Amino acid sequence: MSSRDDILARLQAHAITPEKRPEMDFKPLAFDNPVEQFERILKVAGANSLRLEPGQDVNDLIRTAYPEARTIASNLPGITCATVNPDLLDDPRALDGTDVAVIRGEFGVLENGMVWVKQQTRYKALFFISEALVILLDRRALVNNMHEAYARPDFDDFGYGCFIAGPSKTADIEQALVIGAHGARAVTVILE
Amino acid sequence: MSSHAKAAEKFIADRERTAWHDQALYFVREKRDRMAQGVPEWEALREMASRMKRHTISRLGYYLEMFERHATANGVHVHWAKDAEEHNRIVYEIIQKHGGKRLVKSKSMLAEECGLTPYLEARGVEAVESDLGERIMQLMGTPPSHIVLPAIHVKREEVGKVFERELNTELDNSDPTYLTHAARKSLRQNFLHADIAMTGVNFAVASSGAFVVCTNEGNADMGTSFPKVHIAIMGLEKVVPDYDALALYVRLLARSATGQPSTTYTSHYKKPVEGQEMHIVIVDNGRSDILANAAHVNMLKCLRCGSCINTCPVYRRTGGYSYSYFIPGPVGINLGMLKSPEKYAGNLSACTLCHSCSNVCPAKIDLAEQIYRWRQDLDGMHLASKEKKFIDKGLKFVMERPSLFYAAIKAGRTAEHMPRFVLYNRLDAWGIGRELPDFAPETFNALWKKGKVKE
Amino acid sequence: MKVGLFIPCYVNAVYPQVGVASYRLLTSLGVDVDYPLEQTCCGQPMANGGFEKDALRLAERMEQLFEKYDYVVGPSASCVVFVKEHYPQLLHKSGHACLSSRIYEICEFLHDVLKVNKLDAYFPHKVSVHNSCHGLRLLHLASPSELVEPRYSVLKDLLSLVEGIEVFEPKRVDECCGFGGMFSVEEAATSVCMGQDKVRDHISTGAEYITGADSSCLMHMEGIIRREHLPIKTLHVVEILASRKQSSHL
Repeated sequence: MSSRDDILARLQAHAITPEKRPEMDFKPLAFDNPVEQFERILKVAGANSLRLEPGQDVNDLIRTAYPEARTIASNLPGITCATVNPDLLDDPRALDGTDVAVIRGEFGVLENGMVWVKQQTRYKALFFISEALVILLDRRALVNNMHEAYARPDFDDFGYGCFIAGPSKTADIEQALVIGAHGARAVTVILE
Repeated sequence: MSSHAKAAEKFIADRERTAWHDQALYFVREKRDRMAQGVPEWEALREMASRMKRHTISRLGYYLEMFERHATANGVHVHWAKDAEEHNRIVYEIIQKHGGKRLVKSKSMLAEECGLTPYLEARGVEAVESDLGERIMQLMGTPPSHIVLPAIHVKREEVGKVFERELNTELDNSDPTYLTHAARKSLRQNFLHADIAMTGVNFAVASSGAFVVCTNEGNADMGTSFPKVHIAIMGLEKVVPDYDALALYVRLLARSATGQPSTTYTSHYKKPVEGQEMHIVIVDNGRSDILANAAHVNMLKCLRCGSCINTCPVYRRTGGYSYSYFIPGPVGINLGMLKSPEKYAGNLSACTLCHSCSNVCPAKIDLAEQIYRWRQDLDGMHLASKEKKFIDKGLKFVMERPSLFYAAIKAGRTAEHMPRFVLYNRLDAWGIGRELPDFAPETFNALWKKGKVKE
Repeated sequence: MKVGLFIPCYVNAVYPQVGVASYRLLTSLGVDVDYPLEQTCCGQPMANGGFEKDALRLAERMEQLFEKYDYVVGPSASCVVFVKEHYPQLLHKSGHACLSSRIYEICEFLHDVLKVNKLDAYFPHKVSVHNSCHGLRLLHLASPSELVEPRYSVLKDLLSLVEGIEVFEPKRVDECCGFGGMFSVEEAATSVCMGQDKVRDHISTGAEYITGADSSCLMHMEGIIRREHLPIKTLHVVEILASRKQSSHL
């Protein structure tokens, strides 16, 4: 018998009485002023947020936010400030040393500051390896909580996807919060 | 004296360190409380999460097969391992097939449970821990003392010393930011040049075949971004039916574990990218036996968030190494007993039955109640402490005989100390830091008989 | 209403004044109180140590002793909750347990059954409330800090009826004091450490007394206070609720 069949047989032999799947019997967190709440919770997660106002150029916003940046990587159309198109690289390792990566988020979650990003670049390394990460997000694409997030009809449409809530962080040394463990040291969400 | 009591006595001998450890963990517990208070439906959420787990556990085979079917369709290789040995062998064979030499791994308690790293190192594969806390412990050459906060017992100066030696950091610089960034720089090279990536699995979504890995550092994602092979390992209880169920656990996990609204990265892996191979190893290693144990089957609900550890007043004052099982605190006491009562019964004493653990558990596992039940089982397994049993029998004998009980009090009073069965052996332990209570000149019973109560 | 007074073994032997205060408090509220003689122990110490079956004879005896009362009331949350939660299962074979449905911890009884909203009590002192684990998390005498639920406290409600009193709570409002029955001797070092921490937390409130519904926790903390000559005393909450202006007790 294969280990697979053996394990499944054991689970069958040891099975407990089937329990019905529970129904949701509560009303989850919801927010009245989504954009304000999102800006507040992003701050909690250690991220910055900027609003792109009508007539403003997103490239100016990125440049102003990261004036020192020498390499800006993005494959998004309209990101003219990009110095590198990461999709043209043969090796994701070449992304090491990127100052800013600009990517698009699908939607944000108001209860925790997460932004759902799907791999829309050749290398997902881009999301993590740059010193700073800029996420462009439609400010109308905000859901209240994780129940709503996962209930979005197209949610399962990804190969790799990540909820990102602010910059990489750790508190592994004496519970002291340090920003920039392995991933981006700064995250700016631009609300379009 | 139990193995925990012995080790705890040593840990507590350094009172300053004990207080520091206690405070560090209590701080995490308080952060958890604030997060919970921010979610008005918290208790209903826990209740539903618990019932959803119960539902899942009652159909484990069904959901695992569903997960396997979908993952396979997504292009992922699914493996099944009966025990730790088979798990290690499967992982090694995948590595060998690709001629791998350098494995970069994110935190996994399952790898710890299976002893994977020493297994691989004995076969010439370097396995580098990439979570900062795990890396610190690896460089120190000691195991993690906590399942979520591996280096919570280590002081910054000690980290500084290790990094001086291993990473050539500045002499006597123990600033956490400086040290973290030194590790960032050093591990960046490991990420870039590893040939195999390994992650654990926090949740495996049956309806989709996707699996979720939660980190704050981004180490799992950095690790899987470069090598051609990604091996994910999971205990078979990690499966959840679908995304609606997943929502419950993602809401609860980080809030319970570290007191954050979410982890920084909640990564969903579904399909390998072009040119990459993705493997999942589903591990039993005793879990299917837990299913058959009605009194303790709830342990299969565990999310490994560590909140029961953080709130445990005994753990906070005695440290992770005082427990003989590799998982400390209430969850570890129970899982250790399920693994081997003979080996791990020495942890059962590490509980005052304060029940705080049962109150914080996001899956509402009856942790304290289970510890109570295990204690009842010890005598039948011939593992009860002889001293405790002696006290018990003494108490039973006296308490069942009222005249003897009152005579013993009288004797104790005149002799100015407790009766012998009370003082026997370890019971004098009361006197280590406490005065014994004095018997009253007259018992309540005597006062009542003499009509003095009604005066 | 006939109430049987349940006096746990260590209260009987060490703190009879807690029993006396319980009797006086209840009778002052018009309750008909009786004490069935020759009580010993409810069996909790054995059970928590892992020898539940050795509590069986004691449980049977308790059932018998308190058979004829409408209510059974005791000044010890931990013992009461043991009877309440564990007797039904323990006595499952040897007959039905009815004591568990009629037994109350005394504060619970005052608050929920008698619904006391006035007391003639006077206690011009600062006290720090000790929320014992079993009182809190098993008997629900107050809302535990871990749970998201409306805050309440039976003890604080009752103490608010006492004239002259100032009520405080320690910073870690419901951290265990480390008594834990046999834990106190089996894990003596940890138990003492927890007790010391807890007593210091109570002291830092500025209170003169630690008060609570469990004499066992108080006994443990008192042992530490006396050993270290710390500037605080322990007092069972019924002793405060039973204090009168002329009381010579303190």
